[in-house]
Amino acid sequence: MGCCYSSETEATEQERDERKPLIPHPNPDSKPTNGTERNSGNLPSTRTDEQALLTSILTKTALNIIDVSAADSQGMEQHEYMDKARQYSTKLAVLSNTLSQKKPTPLPSLTSQPHQVLASDLVPYSDMQQVSKIAAYAYSAISQIKVDAKEDLVVQFAIP
Amino acid sequence: MEATLEQHLDDTMKSPSIVGVLCTDQQGHNLGCRGSLSDEHGGVVSVLARQAASLTRDPTDTPTVCLESDSGNILMKTHGSITVAVHKMAS
Repeated sequence: MGCCYSSETEATEQERDERKPLIPHPNPDSKPTNGTERNSGNLPSTRTDEQALLTSILTKTALNIIDVSAADSQGMEQHEYMDKARQYSTKLAVLSNTLSQKKPTPLPSLTSQPHQVLASDLVPYSDMQQVSKIAAYAYSAISQIKVDAKEDLVVQFAIP
Repeated sequence: MEATLEQHLDDTMKSPSIVGVLCTDQQGHNLGCRGSLSDEHGGVVSVLARQAASLTRDPTDTPTVCLESDSGNILMKTHGSITVAVHKMAS
């Protein structure tokens, strides 16, 4: 969770290097870099307001956060937790290996010399008709598919 | 159940110069295949046929997509809810 906020802070710092912000940063104390030098001079009186603002933000954030780690660790020993973590990471490593190998297979390779293909004769009309016929037959074959129940789907158990 | 379709695919493979046939539904789920066209091609075939169909305004006239190559053509045709691809070598 800390990572989310730290990245945001870095972005703000970078922006401050480039140009003076319209709204001063709510907590200049936490910045030991050059951003502090610029703000500390002209904004000493607003510091208490900023602190109050920061506290209210922290309170709001704390209310919105569900601490999953605290809830989880109640029923689990430390070593058990570590074991599970190791187990999951091993499984993930195995899975990621198999996933990276599974690339979508392309259609069979077409040509290395496209000009020959482009200059060749048109696709025969008989081929088009043949494909249409195959498709029509396949469609009718699929429409004939139906469930062929050979025995009762519902079975009564002998309950006294 | 699907014996008729399987038989139809087998019969299609007996046609001269046909080396692969595939039947897929609109979602790219493979319903049956033979030869050079396999399970993994269902998605590509259904998408190509659908994209081609989106080019025409007449819903009753489904286009035939043809991938031409120097060794053979792959023809794709949608009929109703299914799409069929046929890999045919140059005769």
